[in-house]
Amino acid sequence: MDDLFPTELKTRLEQIGEADIVVGIPSYNNARTIGQVVRAVSVGLAKYFPARRSVIVNSDGGSKDNTQEVVMQAEGGADDLLLVSHPVHPSYRISTPYHGIPGKGSAFRTIFAVAKRLNAKACVVVDSDLRSITPGWIELLAQPVLEYGYDYIAPYYHRHKYDGTITNGIIYPMTRTLYGKSVRQPIGGEFGFSGKLASSYLEKDVWDTDVARFGIDIWMTVTAIAEGFRVGQAYLGAKIHDAKDPGADLTSMFRQVVGSFFSLMGSYEEVWRKTSGWERVPLFGFPFEVGVEPLTVNTDRMIHAAQQGVNDLQEIYQSFLSQQTLQDLTNFVHRNGQGFHIPDQLWIRLIYEAATAYRYRILDRDHLLQSLVPLYLGRTASFVLEVTDSTASQVEERIEQLCQVFEAEKTYLTQQWDTAGKENLHAQPV
Amino acid sequence: MRSLFDRMLIDPFHRLADQCAHLVPALIVVLVTLVVGGFLAFVLRWLTFRLLELARFDRLVQRTGFASMIERTGVFRSASDLGARFVQALVWVFTMLFALSAADTPASVDLVRRFAAYVPNLIAAGLVLLLGVVVSRILSRSALLAAVNAQWPAARLIAGGVRVLVMTLAVVIALEQLNIGSLPLLVAFAIVFAGIVFALSIAFGLGARDMARQWLEAKVRSSVAEEEVFRHL
Repeated sequence: MDDLFPTELKTRLEQIGEADIVVGIPSYNNARTIGQVVRAVSVGLAKYFPARRSVIVNSDGGSKDNTQEVVMQAEGGADDLLLVSHPVHPSYRISTPYHGIPGKGSAFRTIFAVAKRLNAKACVVVDSDLRSITPGWIELLAQPVLEYGYDYIAPYYHRHKYDGTITNGIIYPMTRTLYGKSVRQPIGGEFGFSGKLASSYLEKDVWDTDVARFGIDIWMTVTAIAEGFRVGQAYLGAKIHDAKDPGADLTSMFRQVVGSFFSLMGSYEEVWRKTSGWERVPLFGFPFEVGVEPLTVNTDRMIHAAQQGVNDLQEIYQSFLSQQTLQDLTNFVHRNGQGFHIPDQLWIRLIYEAATAYRYRILDRDHLLQSLVPLYLGRTASFVLEVTDSTASQVEERIEQLCQVFEAEKTYLTQQWDTAGKENLHAQPV
Repeated sequence: MRSLFDRMLIDPFHRLADQCAHLVPALIVVLVTLVVGGFLAFVLRWLTFRLLELARFDRLVQRTGFASMIERTGVFRSASDLGARFVQALVWVFTMLFALSAADTPASVDLVRRFAAYVPNLIAAGLVLLLGVVVSRILSRSALLAAVNAQWPAARLIAGGVRVLVMTLAVVIALEQLNIGSLPLLVAFAIVFAGIVFALSIAFGLGARDMARQWLEAKVRSSVAEEEVFRHL
């Protein structure tokens, strides 16, 4: 574990000794927003946990815009107007480069290691490009762990109806269907977790996979649920990011997130096969209506991407989609404008067939995931067209409907999985 | 008188009889070798076909995308059929070599010796071609996916270009291994390829200068716009 720490960090951790709360902030060229995030965290720690020893860790991926300097210079916890009690212990602040594959997951790994080294009781991670973070987020993410014995707290936000389409269209419904817990934002980016869970994460041998990149969020959520840790959610209001998100190109992001999820389906096959039904996960905080930033979506471009994908990638789709699915897809995708539609059942069968192909390596995994991107864009366009005139609550109902179809089609997934298993006896476990 | 008659008529017959006595057994051995080899080749083809079918070889090949290519040739019914016929052909080649060795004539012995010396080149060329097929397939598929995800209209053309490029390189190297003049092919390919690139550059840069500028501007604008307004996670 100590290999993860540069010498300076080791010395600093020895000086600090122990801490109750570790707040991690992964960053890469976020000088514009990270100062505000550090201030909010510092104030949150001072206001809600004045008697606790706390450390803020900035795990940086080699920023070239003085992100680390901004972290160390940001004022924090000094504004008396915001404090209801004075902190007994000052919160320490560390900014360190991380080791390993460049990516969010590697940054988290360093944060987990710091939490373990300091014997932290609770750990919180927040994105460094947040514009809507408030000190209250720290309380909401850490308190259920410190006070109520929860191991993992996922965020719960109000988002624009078009926002988070990988979450709404794939990850949330599948997490609920396969693992039986309704975690609404399983890849939200902000999490609270216990020191015990951080240590458990560190023991896994995943740090040279996509988990080291954007796959970290879903990996943390699924691991926590599948391994029986106590899971909750915290209502954080609205999530507003900085507009600029370096390195976030759709294909690699999709590949890393969906690939990690498919990979977890192999690891936790026994868990999801046994799971039936789902349960609500306790929600901490007081849900209130928030305004969200307006979004515009170019559906024509997405429809064109899907049509081009179906035309140009037929040979690839033939290798892992069933004849019926491919035929339906071809029929539906070539309707233009408002008539364009990818029905729920078709979308779900397509995802289940892709997950099976991923598990049994029916074709190169990278190629498989990349070939899903045009279809995902098509499904997103279909969803956007369908909910154009819907309110936020109607959209939630629509997502609920989608989840129910995912659940109803689970037998199709197990059938696919079993058939492929029989045909690919030589396939290596994931 | 008799000796002249013997020398002119009988001796040649004797020599012919001697040669026949040498040749006929060899011919019989050659014929038997060919018959047995042919039968063995047929049996091994049948056996290979059944084994490949049992091992679901066709399904495996289907996943790699080679199945349609094999069927398109119109010669082979399936990948298993191709594999079986390959084994049959191999057995036939060895049968011919055995038969030639059995003939035991200076020409056949020389032919067998030269062929044996050529076998490593054949194997190397075969491996190079096989590697070329695999690499060209992977690279062209990667190029196709990247181009489709970037929404380039000529995605299939790009993928096809990548495949042709890699396969041409593989063929040139294989020909080199076989000691067959590959230079004309390489030069022809270089001229054609450079010509295409040059023609496209001129067409795009001069003929469609405004369109190129507008396209690039639109590309940059739209990608920035989408990044700014839309979050997928």
